[in-house]
Amino acid sequence: MSRRTELMQIAGSLLVALALAAAAIWVVTDHFGPTSTAALEAREDRIDARLDAREDLRKDREDAREERGGDSGGNSGPG
Amino acid sequence: MEDLIDELTRGNVTEVKVILASVVLALAVYQVALAAVSYGKVRLRFLGSGPATWAHRAAGDTILVIAVLVAIACISYYGWEEGGAHAVFGTLLLGALALKVLTVRIGGSSSPLLPWIGVALLALFAATWLTSAGDFLGVGG
Repeated sequence: MSRRTELMQIAGSLLVALALAAAAIWVVTDHFGPTSTAALEAREDRIDARLDAREDLRKDREDAREERGGDSGGNSGPG
Repeated sequence: MEDLIDELTRGNVTEVKVILASVVLALAVYQVALAAVSYGKVRLRFLGSGPATWAHRAAGDTILVIAVLVAIACISYYGWEEGGAHAVFGTLLLGALALKVLTVRIGGSSSPLLPWIGVALLALFAATWLTSAGDFLGVGG
């Protein structure tokens, strides 16, 4: 076997080892989910926005209910 | 030491340990395949015995360094007390690693003990991974 072929085979074997290491890292980090600060902050922002929207909706409903309750109270009261 | 590890991993000690241990396990499985080619048990057209031996040594040195780093992080951050089976397998693994290095240094690469130590090492790597990283990833059951 020529020296050049040997070197090629060694390089190939080491590249396979690198690929295996990269695959292991990819599989495990994929299992963890997003870990970058930007991704986590974006996720938190999305959750906050959803909670705010829900809170606004709840307040609107309460206001509408109070308005209706106030109107009916005014009409039917002994006044 | 605990603070240094915390700082190096930015507070993600377990995650970093799980990733490094998984890399080591993947490389350990590859090591067995390379050893089989190196000993002539498996003959491949695209990989000769000599290059396989060279790659086996290079990957082995890498595994040794990463495994020792993970062990240092593990022992200094979590200690021995709550290790259970993981601590036992980890200690046996470090012993087997030391034995393999000694066997290569004293007996040379043709020592008949090497294949047996190699297989034991793979089993210990798998057991150590399963009782820690595997558990964490939901693989160990």
